[in-house]
Amino acid sequence: MAAVIEIRFHGRGGQGAVVASELLAQAAFLDGKWPQSFPFFGVERRGAPVTAYTRIDTHPLGVRTSITTPDVVVVLEPSLLRTQPVTDGLRDGGLLLVNSSHPAEELVLPAGGRRAAVDANRIAVTHGLGSLTMPIVNTAMLGALAAVTDVVSMEALDRAIQEFVPARRPENQAAASDGYHDVRVVGGTLPFTPSVPRAAAATLPLPEGPMASESSERYHTADWRTLRPVIHLEKCTRCNFCWKFCPDDAFSFDAEGYPVLRTDYCKGCGICAVECPPRAIEMVEEA
Amino acid sequence: MAKLTIPAQELLRSGHSACPGCAPALAMRLMLKGLGPRTIVSIPACCWTVIDTPYPTTALGVAMLDNPIESTGASISGLRAAADALGIPDVTILGFAGDGGTADIGLQALSGMLERRTNAIYAMYDNEAYMNTGVQRSGATPLGAWTTTTPVGEGSHGKAEPKKDVMGIVLAHHPVYAATVNPSFPEDFVKKVEKARDLSGPRFFHIFAPCPPGWRYPSDQSIEIGKRATDCGVFPLYEVMDGHYHITRKGGALKPVREYFQAQGRFSHLGDADLDRVQAQVTADWNRLVRLESET
Ligand SMILES: Cc1ncc(C[n+]2csc(CCOP(=O)(O)OP(=O)(O)O)c2C)c(N)n1
Ligand code: SF4
Ligand code: SF4
Ligand SMILES: [Mg+2]
Repeated sequence: MAAVIEIRFHGRGGQGAVVASELLAQAAFLDGKWPQSFPFFGVERRGAPVTAYTRIDTHPLGVRTSITTPDVVVVLEPSLLRTQPVTDGLRDGGLLLVNSSHPAEELVLPAGGRRAAVDANRIAVTHGLGSLTMPIVNTAMLGALAAVTDVVSMEALDRAIQEFVPARRPENQAAASDGYHDVRVVGGTLPFTPSVPRAAAATLPLPEGPMASESSERYHTADWRTLRPVIHLEKCTRCNFCWKFCPDDAFSFDAEGYPVLRTDYCKGCGICAVECPPRAIEMVEEA
Repeated sequence: MAKLTIPAQELLRSGHSACPGCAPALAMRLMLKGLGPRTIVSIPACCWTVIDTPYPTTALGVAMLDNPIESTGASISGLRAAADALGIPDVTILGFAGDGGTADIGLQALSGMLERRTNAIYAMYDNEAYMNTGVQRSGATPLGAWTTTTPVGEGSHGKAEPKKDVMGIVLAHHPVYAATVNPSFPEDFVKKVEKARDLSGPRFFHIFAPCPPGWRYPSDQSIEIGKRATDCGVFPLYEVMDGHYHITRKGGALKPVREYFQAQGRFSHLGDADLDRVQAQVTADWNRLVRLESET
């Protein structure tokens, strides 16, 4: 039986999800396995959801497709659990590993299954990796992954960090080690050889109509933002500048012509606050 | 409520995947306000294909054709031929391409479309580099600008060559109408688009399109940077119809180019001597444009 294991990473642009998938592959290679890693070819804008894949086998790999039925899902940013279908396709008996300050018991999996949580934000900040608003959590998450699965050994991960991480190696090694020791798991760790035999890959039906006919408004790009505009209506002169200059069409008007923020879509660029002539718009930190 | 100075209709949908503060996204919003819903847009590989199409959705309220990076000009000739063959005369065909896909990779297809006198509008949104692939220099990158392929350090001081004159190349084909537009001036932008929409024959827009990550400035500054570019003469607003030049914004004396350059990280390595040279060139180009306006 094939002993391939498939890992899917979910993060945000800037958090290091793609680097995590590559680093894991490097470490698996040092362990004598046959790995591959690649990102989903999509939007890698700062703050936007990013997906990356690592596939590891004990034999040379023939498959080159993206991973739709992962054995392990690693989530670098807890808010993605609400906004992205991160557990889609997760195999029965698979494992969900999340960067979260909450205990693993509170993670909800559609079909039960194994869950693990580690407070990688705290670990990253302790070791000065990234910033408070955007901690770089990838090495802490990989340490946790080494603890709750046997896809990679801690020794190989440590060596991969020394060889391939471009900066702050000691801090990243320490973060991986903290992740290894701090992670908490419910339902047991995951052995390398999956217990479930491989099913044939599902074939996607080809579209009959135009390729893309749904509205992009189903994507609530609000979850990219770190700052949010607050409109002080007592200062507003109803000049429409905020509406006119918004690249995301995130303003509408109320019956009296005052601007109303379409909160689902504002990405928090701050243009409206700069362009508003009476300075009626203030950018505040997103709660 | 103050009267709207540009059309209310929104044909750019929210939920698209442009970076926060992306001027090319605002440019499309204004372009479609001017053209209206009877429009088909052809977009090559560039940031805009990614902005539009997080699968299976589209951010455009009009039909869109996704085409290879070198073929925007050819694709709009084909779309027009198809519309004619199907007997649909009342549709505007728009090509919307980046500077890399226009000034470099798609230049011959653009030239072919202009020379065939295709009845369509070609718009180049100029963010002055190959942004979608991570900020590589293009023919439209200005002199001195940092990009990942024109680094700043020993032996390299940003881009060593001046920006390609795309308007000059287009005007050599004698289009029916060609204009520069800048999303920092939405009324001027939409007015020109509406004018072009009602003409027939090859038409061209050069769109100034600031890009926060590629030009290295905070996302809230896109409109301010655009205003400075025009008011210091780096990106003058003008139109050329039947060979007649008309400058559509003259704000008195030009502001110093320093105010524009110093607002962007991609120029932060430039010193006084560099900026003095740029100033001399910008002033000379502006004087030439003023002369062309009075002579044509
Ligand atoms: C023939 C070809 N070469 C290279 C590419 C890769 N590519 C995709 S988008 C892009 C950048 C295009 O730059 P530009 O036209 O300036 O648009 P921008 O991304 O800056 O908006 C490139 C090089 C491609 N798609 N096709
Ligand atoms: S830009 Fe400012 S003053 Fe003008 S409508 Fe918006 S909030 Fe009101
Ligand atoms: S890289 Fe620049 S042009 Fe591309 S989406 Fe981001 S801001 Fe817009
Ligand atoms: Mg470009």
